[in-house]
Amino acid sequence: MQLSKSKKITALLATATCTLLNAGAQAQETKSENDWQFDTAILYYGETDRVSLLEGVISATKDFGDQRVLNTKLVIDTLTGASATGAVSQPYAQTFSRPSGDGQYTTSPNELPLDDTFKDTRVQLSANWTQPIYKDTRVNLGGNISREYDYLSVGTSVSAESDFYNKNTTALFGLSYQFDSIDPVGGRPIGLSTMVVNNGQFGAGDAGDAGDAGEDAFEAAFDQTRITDTDDKSTVDALFGLTQVINRRMLVQLNYSYSTSSGYLNDPYKLLSLVNTNGETQSVLHENRPDSRAKHSVFAQTKYAFDNAVADVSYRFATDDWEITSHTIDSKLRYNLSESDYIQPHFRYYQQSEADFYRPYLDNTDALPIFASADYRLGEMTAITVGLKYGHKMNNGHEWGVRAEYYQQDPKNAGFENIGVLASQDLYPSVKAFILQFSYSF
Amino acid sequence: MSDWKIQTAGDHIKGSFFCMASPCELLIDTTDPLVASHLTEQAAAEAFRIEQKFSRYRNDNIVFAINQAQGKSIAIDNETFQLLTFANSCFEISEGMFDITSGVLRRAWKFDGSDNVPNPETINQLLAFIGWDRVKFDQQKIKMPAGFEIDLGGIGKEYAVDCVAKLCTTLAPALSILVNFGGDIQVTQKRKEGKYWLVGIEMPAQDTSQTKNHDTKYNTVMVKIARGGLATSGDANRYLLHNGVRYSHVLNPQLGKPIMDGPRSVTIASDHCVQAGLMATLALLQGKQAEQFLIQQEVSYWCYW
Amino acid sequence: MNIIKIQTSNKYTKKLISVFFIITAMQLGGCANLGVQPWERDLLAKDEMALNADAIDIGLDEHIYFSKEGTSGGRSFAGGGCGCN
Repeated sequence: MQLSKSKKITALLATATCTLLNAGAQAQETKSENDWQFDTAILYYGETDRVSLLEGVISATKDFGDQRVLNTKLVIDTLTGASATGAVSQPYAQTFSRPSGDGQYTTSPNELPLDDTFKDTRVQLSANWTQPIYKDTRVNLGGNISREYDYLSVGTSVSAESDFYNKNTTALFGLSYQFDSIDPVGGRPIGLSTMVVNNGQFGAGDAGDAGDAGEDAFEAAFDQTRITDTDDKSTVDALFGLTQVINRRMLVQLNYSYSTSSGYLNDPYKLLSLVNTNGETQSVLHENRPDSRAKHSVFAQTKYAFDNAVADVSYRFATDDWEITSHTIDSKLRYNLSESDYIQPHFRYYQQSEADFYRPYLDNTDALPIFASADYRLGEMTAITVGLKYGHKMNNGHEWGVRAEYYQQDPKNAGFENIGVLASQDLYPSVKAFILQFSYSF
Repeated sequence: MSDWKIQTAGDHIKGSFFCMASPCELLIDTTDPLVASHLTEQAAAEAFRIEQKFSRYRNDNIVFAINQAQGKSIAIDNETFQLLTFANSCFEISEGMFDITSGVLRRAWKFDGSDNVPNPETINQLLAFIGWDRVKFDQQKIKMPAGFEIDLGGIGKEYAVDCVAKLCTTLAPALSILVNFGGDIQVTQKRKEGKYWLVGIEMPAQDTSQTKNHDTKYNTVMVKIARGGLATSGDANRYLLHNGVRYSHVLNPQLGKPIMDGPRSVTIASDHCVQAGLMATLALLQGKQAEQFLIQQEVSYWCYW
Repeated sequence: MNIIKIQTSNKYTKKLISVFFIITAMQLGGCANLGVQPWERDLLAKDEMALNADAIDIGLDEHIYFSKEGTSGGRSFAGGGCGCN
């Protein structure tokens, strides 16, 4: 390198540098273009001897910068198996008509009546858009549609949140509207009508003979208890939320929400047994619930960061004009085993009181109430969930997790007398379920 | 692995991590910790990526594959090709004085402050494995004679600084960010309101009175930087002492011997960190004439003897 | 390249550090109530500290509990959207 020639060096070096760095920049751009974040999961939920559910989720999120975020989510699930109808078990076999009116099923003595015809697939699509509208204020718009063969649900929501005090406080207000349309198989049963069961009372011949007079008479009687057009329900929710940073390790969230539904709130597949003074079923009725419901709930959540762990504890109190009051405690502890692995035990406790119209059965010596349901989900119960999750972040930044949980519901007798033969029946059987989930994010 | 942290320092946030055997920091002209965290995390990831890919201390990267090839040709990706092209340009500009195959001389010269001066025979044997002009490469592959090794250590850290600065510009186009990897610095753009970045750089003390004392004293020099890049090349504490002669770790690849009587440290300011780093190295290779060279090049420099 | 050497000693750095500490101490003294300063968000900024961490898991759980229990919602909108209850 001769000093006399070296004057050109600066320029040559600058050219070489530009070539090097611009080539690198191109490689970077292609890398950052693909910034959709995908979260996927598949969940299996299986109750012993009852329903099982397989549910898949794909959620895609894109950050467009400046706090503008789009999230779209697709959920597909299939439900199969048998579900408790609400009818009580008896010391003898019981025969029920299928909800469609097409065929029958029989329950063995001392066995809880389960409707085994459940097979349903649901597809749900939702989208959410968040963007700032004013300094430290963001607005979120959402829409969703969900379809199953007897049910259609569409909804929209809007919420706004604002940050205050150095972003230590965030306040949220939101409204959502949901419209559901129900078209159950075999039509909607008339509330508290008696289920029509073909026990041969409609004349000779069994259901196998087409055009049989007895069969036609059954169908006519069955249709008498049914309304064939669709019905709907609408739900409006209002949500007020406050999030507060307490210190470097802790934050809390407090929500109040009010939800009001009106319209068709029955479960068209749920039944009630009408029993005599000896507890023996005389007939089976279709349930009937009020056509409106207003719920209030208060939800408090806190998160605390330890050096190697994050604790997440929440409590929810809910009460409504059906007089169901519930308490839920949910806690998770994410413990980081290393930079890339964690385990997360989960514990949840749930307790609810029964709805004012909940009856495990109806007594035929009493006057028929206006509203009644024997759906155990509206009765008094406690439920616990215990679970464990393991998560791992791979070298390429993708993350996977596996979660196993056990869920048990223990319905309770809310002070109803088990008359006659019912004293020897288990009217409040527990429901035990296992949950297994695998998730993958990339 | 990607261990980083952020800390507010008055009107800006400092992100820091440790990579390429150096403390690395980002000075980010924001007070939003989310922005700073995001940038620091991405910056650290990019720095670690480059370290993993081009470090010669690993046995799972492209440099290892090339160095173990024993005469076979090795497939390379575009980024490696661009770095080799840059190294090639530097070889041509310096007329063979900057040579990324000269690292094998380290087997003879161990710059640990001791007095182990290798004998000429050892050096002559090693010289047979040096010479970038004997390496063939194109966009797809590189082919070196058996026994050859490359070492991108002379440009790797500066390259990483520029890559991280580039990434920061993409992620936060409106922010001024100073990237500092152990004294090799790049600023993405000017700060708001005419402010400067202030960084401390370790430079040898100019202490000419004690010629017998070869232990270099370091002072932290505070420098103001508005934009551009800054890089330092020097012998830090890597030298040999033999019969009272100080042998610099900067070697002449053609002779296999240290450059004598050159400055201990040269700091250059330029548009880009890579450019500054190479200019500093080229200046050191000038030995006695380093300062004269720098004056001719009309660059901003600090030279310590 | 707009670079100016200011001082060849580390006194300046020390001065800067002490100024920084005084400012920090003043802010801590003047603000004893809830919340953190922006630079104290290192832990809160972690993904697992987000209130919607595990959003997918929560969504799946809420669907299960919605269809198995008498109450739903509270955390976010309860809505409808499922014929399972």
